[in-house]
Amino acid sequence: MDANTAYLTQNTPENVHTVEHPLSGGKTLEEILSNIEMTIIEEKEEHLIIDLVGIEAPIANALRRIMLSEVPTMAIEDINLWQNTSVIPDEVLAHRIGLIPIDADPRLFKFKHPNEEHSSENCICFKLHAVCRRLEDGSIVGDKVMSGDLQWQPFPNQQERFGHFKPVHDDIIIAKLGPGQEIEAELFCEKGIGATHTKWSPVCTASYRLAPKITLKKEIAGENAINLKNKCPMGVFDVKKGKAVVKNPRNCTSCRECIREDDSMVSLAKVKDHFIFTIETTGALSPRDIFREAIKELRDKAAFWLDKINIYKRTPKS
Amino acid sequence: MEDEEISQEDAWVVISEYFKENGLVSQQLSSFNHFILHTIQEIIEDSAEITIIPERQYRPGERQQQELRYVISFKQATLGARPVLKEQDGSSNLIFPHEARLRNLTYASNLLVDVQKQSIVNYEGRGEHVEGEEEQKGVFIGRIPIMVRSNYCALSNKTEKERITYKECVFDQGGYFIINGKEKVLVAQEKMANNFVYVFHRSQPSKYSWVAEIRSQNESSNKVPSQFSIRLTHKVKSSHEQVIRANLPYIKSDVPVVILFRAMGFVADKDIISHICYDAADVRMMELLKPSLEEAFVIPSQEVALDFIGRRGNSVGASQEQRIIYAKDLLQKEMLPHVSVSAEYETKKAFFVGYMVHRLCNAALGRNKEDDRDHYGKKRLDLAGSLLANLFRQLFRRFTKTAQEVMKKQVDSQHDINLVAAVKEHIITSGLRYALATGNWMQDKTGAVSKTGVSQVLSRLTFSSSLSHLRRLNTPLQKQGKLTKPRQLHNTHWGMICPAETPEGQACGLVKNLTLMAHISVSCNSSQLQRMLEELNTENLVELSVKNIHDRTKVFFNGSWIGIHGDAEYLVKTLVNCRRGGMLPKQVSIVRDIPNKEIRIYSDSGRIQRPVFIAENNKIKMSRYYIEQMKLPRERPDHLSFDKCTELGLIEFLDTEEEETSLIAMTMKELNEGGNKYHYTHCEIHPSMILGVCASIIPFPDHNQSPRNTYQSAMGKQAMGIYTSNYQLRMDTLAHVLYYAQKPLVMTRAMEFMYFKELPSGCNAVVAIACYTGYNQEDSVIMNQSSIDRGFFRSIFYRTYENQAKTIGGADEEFHIPAKETTVGTRDGCYDKLDVDGLIIPGQRVSGDDVIIGKTAALNAFGATNRQTRKDVSICLRHSESGIIDSVLLTVDDLGHKFAKIKMRSIRIPQIGDKFASRHGQKGTIGQTFRQEDLPFSKQGISPDIIVNPHAIPSRMTIGHLIECLASKVACLRGEEGDGTPFQSVTVEDISRDLHALGYQLRGNEVMYNGHTGNRLASQIFFGPTYYQRLKHMVDDKIHSRARGQVQSLTRQPTEGRSRDGGLRFGEMERDCMISHGAARFLKERLFEASDAYRVHVCENCGLFAIANLDRNMFQCKQCKNKNTRISQIFIPYACKLLFQELMAMHIAPRLHTSIS
Ligand code: SF4
Repeated sequence: MDANTAYLTQNTPENVHTVEHPLSGGKTLEEILSNIEMTIIEEKEEHLIIDLVGIEAPIANALRRIMLSEVPTMAIEDINLWQNTSVIPDEVLAHRIGLIPIDADPRLFKFKHPNEEHSSENCICFKLHAVCRRLEDGSIVGDKVMSGDLQWQPFPNQQERFGHFKPVHDDIIIAKLGPGQEIEAELFCEKGIGATHTKWSPVCTASYRLAPKITLKKEIAGENAINLKNKCPMGVFDVKKGKAVVKNPRNCTSCRECIREDDSMVSLAKVKDHFIFTIETTGALSPRDIFREAIKELRDKAAFWLDKINIYKRTPKS
Repeated sequence: MEDEEISQEDAWVVISEYFKENGLVSQQLSSFNHFILHTIQEIIEDSAEITIIPERQYRPGERQQQELRYVISFKQATLGARPVLKEQDGSSNLIFPHEARLRNLTYASNLLVDVQKQSIVNYEGRGEHVEGEEEQKGVFIGRIPIMVRSNYCALSNKTEKERITYKECVFDQGGYFIINGKEKVLVAQEKMANNFVYVFHRSQPSKYSWVAEIRSQNESSNKVPSQFSIRLTHKVKSSHEQVIRANLPYIKSDVPVVILFRAMGFVADKDIISHICYDAADVRMMELLKPSLEEAFVIPSQEVALDFIGRRGNSVGASQEQRIIYAKDLLQKEMLPHVSVSAEYETKKAFFVGYMVHRLCNAALGRNKEDDRDHYGKKRLDLAGSLLANLFRQLFRRFTKTAQEVMKKQVDSQHDINLVAAVKEHIITSGLRYALATGNWMQDKTGAVSKTGVSQVLSRLTFSSSLSHLRRLNTPLQKQGKLTKPRQLHNTHWGMICPAETPEGQACGLVKNLTLMAHISVSCNSSQLQRMLEELNTENLVELSVKNIHDRTKVFFNGSWIGIHGDAEYLVKTLVNCRRGGMLPKQVSIVRDIPNKEIRIYSDSGRIQRPVFIAENNKIKMSRYYIEQMKLPRERPDHLSFDKCTELGLIEFLDTEEEETSLIAMTMKELNEGGNKYHYTHCEIHPSMILGVCASIIPFPDHNQSPRNTYQSAMGKQAMGIYTSNYQLRMDTLAHVLYYAQKPLVMTRAMEFMYFKELPSGCNAVVAIACYTGYNQEDSVIMNQSSIDRGFFRSIFYRTYENQAKTIGGADEEFHIPAKETTVGTRDGCYDKLDVDGLIIPGQRVSGDDVIIGKTAALNAFGATNRQTRKDVSICLRHSESGIIDSVLLTVDDLGHKFAKIKMRSIRIPQIGDKFASRHGQKGTIGQTFRQEDLPFSKQGISPDIIVNPHAIPSRMTIGHLIECLASKVACLRGEEGDGTPFQSVTVEDISRDLHALGYQLRGNEVMYNGHTGNRLASQIFFGPTYYQRLKHMVDDKIHSRARGQVQSLTRQPTEGRSRDGGLRFGEMERDCMISHGAARFLKERLFEASDAYRVHVCENCGLFAIANLDRNMFQCKQCKNKNTRISQIFIPYACKLLFQELMAMHIAPRLHTSIS
């Protein structure tokens, strides 16, 4: 059994936990570091899939956690609601507006202290004025209030400095109005982190999974091979020249169907230091930036604690 | 296609058509409509005329020649076309339910009656002459509350669109009344059916071994049912003599039954026996009767027998003749009134008594079993219509009586009769309103109420809770009785009463709920049926020959024996065919009891019925052809309605009794497999229709342990969602609305008819069943804080405060901002948020103790000083609540009082301690909230919204919960609605296969990673979406603590309850605990110092309280002339001091003898 592999058996996974310290196997830190590999598997506007090999679960997890809740973004925090005659109560409306992702690079802004004023340094201001009317021909206009109706109200010299800000999507419905109803509001975005409220989280989700390692325990041919191929819903196996082969191990969902009846054919396993990261962004930052910011954040944290430890070391014991 | 078979799926077309036609509250509506259309008129016509005979005026020298009397009678009654309101300024307005709700009005229509007045003169010797006759049309006699959406409601015949313009909820089905602005439901009351012969066994301590009893009530009268029973004495060892006695109303001791026969004119032994024992060869029964005949040997004739009875009645000191007349009267009018009350009663009643004895003997001889008290066929339900009818009858009698008194006075004081002045409409108006407002139904002469809780405030928590409330049944009395039988589910409840939905605890099994398709009969015209029976050669009792009874079948109609028939099969078939062809009303039930040779026909009201498919030769008569017709749009002329199906003989309504004589196939498959073995008469439309409103919400209830379905049925009523579509316009005292209510991923077919999709009450949460961190032990759950941030299970809470400014009857109250200088007793709260009119401004943020309605009352002469003339009676917000004022309503009620309603709203975000439940009786509170990064995540990065503990599953056996999760997962992945309807052929295997085909582990397990450590979890987790409900119990409404605070004024002990910032009781058991620990000082601190410690001074001479002036250091006891010496200061509880003073007030001197220790 390989210490670096978790096995799935008919009953339970085995060898899941890593108990040894990474350095205990006689490896040096340098060796470990040099073994770390990173490959981008897929990169789209909205998501990024990365393979991270050679790191420990706590490190991978720290990155994931930071992406979820500590990479800052801009989100609407304060609202001056001047008029709301819609059926949606003020609080609900405000909550909905708060969740709209804003396309603004948070790195351009500072955190706002509670007793600080809104300014071009720490705030983006939008205006929302939606009126629904029944026209003379009986048709109704303005019955849907969309995120695209938010209008940027730049603070002095913001426009020159930053260009344009707007919500990520224009087609999020904020409210629906009936004829004669009106919403008028002033919205202030602030910089914040997901730990405070999820609206500041830059990702829809960021997660990883361990890379599956699927091997055939013996040669499988003929009927059995076809059976095996059909068993797997994800098309992991294929039959080539009458023999079963593992085609797409990455597709495996660990449903264990292939070993449910007979576990003598396939070995299902996970490589414990091979993480397949998936990062889905809300749109404010590119997934690549999110990952980069997360690493930066992790480094800052490490530096912070290193600092603390060094201070502790330097302080003579009394 | 004509006779192509239909599938189980097609049954849903029929069911859907049924609900489109009837809705879910049809029983309430039809009962009320029947009351208005028929019963009111009947009651008014049945009431006796008022006769007024003027007091004779004696004028000296004038000879009275004629006798004058007035006769007032009530004729045609008409109900105002629409509910109206008479405003205080005199104007009359048509009102709609919404206005009634908002303005605290009673939604009622005027009842007008034509009154006829005749003056009849009786000339001496020349007979009577009607001198004058006048009819006053449309005299207003009272206001009748109108059931919302009945035929007499302003909303009847209104389209959905129109109802919206009247600010009604689109889905509201009505079925309730609006009394003083409150929605009131009349809960159906269950009772034992009248006119039924029951035979019961009695064991030893009782004198009798067998009893046949009946509660007899004439159809048209409203007397208390008269009890009558025939009893057989116990076998005494010494002699084998068992005699049969009859218990007559108003007769103190039991009368030998033979004497009763003789009193009715059947003297000869042979005659009597032939009425009882129909089979002349039945020796055993003859033997049983022998001792009874011997016992009555001494009473040989009718006269003596009547005297025998009369002597035992209420006729002290009467002559023999009077006694005989009394007895005759009693037999005619009081005994078995349902058989006959006319003068020629003897034959009919003799047959009936004979029948009862026959039944009794059969039971005593072991041929028949004892009757089952809990058989549902012997129960009748009083719905809104009959309840109102009883009340109205009583009130109308009171109304005519007062009218008579007033008119008598008018006449006696030489005035003409003034009808309008004599008619006191308030008797009926306020009588009905009082009963509906309080639920105290029917008062007897002493003013004691016979039934309470009949009318209840309609539950408006969730839409399904309102619906279920409108289909509720109550069994009065015996709530404390420990008898379990009436509480148990009875076989005859099948299809009529929901097996799951009943409360736990005291009312368990006594409060029931109708199933979705159960329908309650209203009485229908019986004369047509009786005529039909005659035409079909039923031999009348009066004409029949006694010899024939044994061979022929006895025919009963509504409990009374009307005759015999030679060909029972033919008779039943003809009648059933008539009913199926629409010639007889569909509510008539025809029961053929073959072993006992009886046919029983019922047309009375209050029987539960349900529709079933008619089958012939093991084939359903409903065919694909009809189903296709049914599927056509309703407007099409060739559309087949459900009602039409009953007329075409495709479907019929069976009541509990008739159901027992039918063989009903559970499914169409079962029917087809019947072959030659079974001859099915009917087929169930769908077995899931045995469930009621609340149980129909549960997916896969057939996989759950039964009490879990009961728990969910109770919990579904506490779930929040969207309770009506017009909640923004309503002003309910309490309301919860979910921000984002979702329709469940897995539905049941029945939910569609309850508009659960449109007005849902929960969210589809992603649920993991895992022991993650341990913060979900003991029925708590872990909730995802990130989901909460995104709006998961957020809700709005509305509370309405209301207050009126009384200005009538000496009170002088006014809404305004109380002026500090001229007002006494101003509140501690903040007055600044009030507008100039004294009411708070909408949109204002308010918190505990803020004044929301500023109001003052004039001080009376004693209270007023020259500066302060008014007293503050403002209304404050509850001190533990806060929120935002949603809306303010200022209006005038029907008495002309200004009054205000203020609706406050606050946002309830799920937090630790809030309660949630799935649809399987699995409830839990939040034990911890974790953000997304701390929660486990699956391969796809999905983290659960809720983590429940796996320990909640095995002992509770809610397999339905797990299947729901699995089916939801499939539904979610496929983007379809899942089907969780019970008793269908879907299996776990099927769902698993689907799930696996979608690339998931077939049992719904998933590999997950620990959010804290990042490691893969050692076991796979059962993971998928499940519909969860947020229940109304929230910590914010319960959290409470107190260190010190208010005390009660009487005892000076801390107040009780959260709303009064009260203390938490240190009760007896806690005290016992402290005693056992020997913690005496602690005990004293809790019970004395922290409660009502008090200091008094006591005279050492007399031991009574002394006067103490601590400022001047002067102490004295006046009685003892004891000044400044021999006075002790003691510490006792204030309540103790109070007790002593109270004792002193009743001349008991408690003396305290003190000594220094
Ligand atoms: S575990 Fe499931 S998905 Fe993975 S290879 Fe086996 S059958 Fe395919």
